Amino acid sequence: MTAHLLEAAPVGGFSHEVVFYRDEDDFLARVLPFVREGLEGDEEVVVAEPEPRLDLLRDALADDARAVTLLDMADIGANPARIIAVWEAAVDEHIGAGRGLRGVGEPAYVGRSDVELAECQLHEVLLNPAFSSGPGWRLLCPYDEQLPPAVRAGALTSHPVRLTPTGGLSSDAHDPAAHVGAFAALLPAPPGTALRSRYRDGDVPAVRRAVAGFATGCGLSRERMEDLELAASELATNSIRHGGGSGSLVMWAEPGAAVVEFTDGGRVADPLTGRRRPSLDQIGGRGLYLVNQLTDLVQLRSGPDGTTVRLTTWR
Amino acid sequence: MRAQGLLSEPGAVQPADHVCWTYEDVDSFAPVARQFLAGGLARGERLLCVGDDVVDRIRRGVEPLADVDALLDRGALELLPLGDAYDSTAGFAPEQQLTFYEAATRRARADGHRGIRVVADVTALAADPGRRADLLRWEHLADDFMASGSGMSAMCAYRSSVLDAGVVVDAASVHPVVHAPGGAPPFRVFFDDGRVAVAGEVDAVGAARLRRVLATSCADRSAVTLDLSRVEFVDVAGCRLVAEWARGLRDRSAEPRLTGTSPLFRRMWRLLRFDELTGVSPEGRHA
Repeated sequence: MTAHLLEAAPVGGFSHEVVFYRDEDDFLARVLPFVREGLEGDEEVVVAEPEPRLDLLRDALADDARAVTLLDMADIGANPARIIAVWEAAVDEHIGAGRGLRGVGEPAYVGRSDVELAECQLHEVLLNPAFSSGPGWRLLCPYDEQLPPAVRAGALTSHPVRLTPTGGLSSDAHDPAAHVGAFAALLPAPPGTALRSRYRDGDVPAVRRAVAGFATGCGLSRERMEDLELAASELATNSIRHGGGSGSLVMWAEPGAAVVEFTDGGRVADPLTGRRRPSLDQIGGRGLYLVNQLTDLVQLRSGPDGTTVRLTTWR
Repeated sequence: MRAQGLLSEPGAVQPADHVCWTYEDVDSFAPVARQFLAGGLARGERLLCVGDDVVDRIRRGVEPLADVDALLDRGALELLPLGDAYDSTAGFAPEQQLTFYEAATRRARADGHRGIRVVADVTALAADPGRRADLLRWEHLADDFMASGSGMSAMCAYRSSVLDAGVVVDAASVHPVVHAPGGAPPFRVFFDDGRVAVAGEVDAVGAARLRRVLATSCADRSAVTLDLSRVEFVDVAGCRLVAEWARGLRDRSAEPRLTGTSPLFRRMWRLLRFDELTGVSPEGRHA
């Protein structure tokens, strides 16, 4: 891995930066100066960290913590496909009001499952197209050095800049087109024991009933069952309206989770579909956004061979 | 609260009933019409039967309406061929219909009846694409009139074997009580307690139909309440059309209210930013 010292700090556009840390002290040594620099520059600082590092930063900032927006990443980023809308809201609110913005976001942390870490990686590569054409701001993503090697390598692919104690280095491993391949990648195949059925026009109510019945059978609460029923209705409707008129429903239970998957022959052209905050100008096309908000984990993949949306609900 | 739901048998009749009854052939419908009218007779209501085939069958005088001539003589029953009720040359005007039934109800009460009970076979109107939209608007207007305690109740009959399935579902959707064994409507819209009530499931397929019904509803009122307490399911398309309905009313300086919404509906409303878009905060389901 080679890296080049940047000629100067990034000017203008969105700067997506990674920093690796060994332990809590190292985390503070790398992240706290970034936060303080923002405060001193009168920028709005938004931090999205999981516990215990959220508390660690709050304590270290002492009185200055009041000037920082502190968000629990385990909450806003439980489904990583929800995070971009949170940053969009911050950009709209603060940069829209004429202030500078810098963020700290740690979506991929130790303790998350492989399937969550895979969605974190897709989220990280999608941050670049999401904000590259907008106003300038800096987002620093801390990564624990104890994360699996593949996750750390992925971080170098997804971040154009690696922050070091001496400044920003551009990463040779960064792939500006990484989101294209990542969005089209196939998900691991469902187990052979999964329940499979086809649906087409007129079948959406039946899909709702099938998913509601499956969710109840998996022991999900009534509230979670209703969330899943609504998500299923949106996805089956999308298949019928935009995905070639029909689709497949596959359902299976995993240890600790109920999984429901929708596949059709259509193609989702924009990998950011469902991740952007609904605008107040146009009222249409909010189905996938709502699915992302209601579901514990959403995996959307789309390419020339079709579209798959896999919903995982933790039990 | 008004009687509402899906019916398999005519059952006990109540004041303010507004029943949509779909049937395959008129011989199977005639006993239902008789039973519905006989229930009104027992309540002291004046009876009116509108249609062609069904009027013929009622005229034959079969139990429980055996003594048709006596009923006709004493003004307790009126039989009206469809052509007399709806002038085929002058078109079909919902407002004119309302005037007609308002007058008929007033007259019945003035003559000592408790109200008026109508069986109307409107298959021929529904079969005419030019009159279909007005028929739906009339059904919805009539429902408002019946719900208001006017003393009118009605059974609207549609012969499903000669109508497109979509036409029957459209018609059934604007009745609180529906008998449609071949295809119950996914949702129904009716008036209850001064509110426009929706019951059933509203998804992307039904959203366009609900939009049409709401567009004919309450255009002239300044405060309109949509009661969603009987809604079992609503998706993004359904939520969006409610938001568009609310925004449309706000644009006309009316005050839309949403009551009886589920926690999931309110969550969806907020997540989709419809609270910001419409300025309306949905209310929950109170006891």
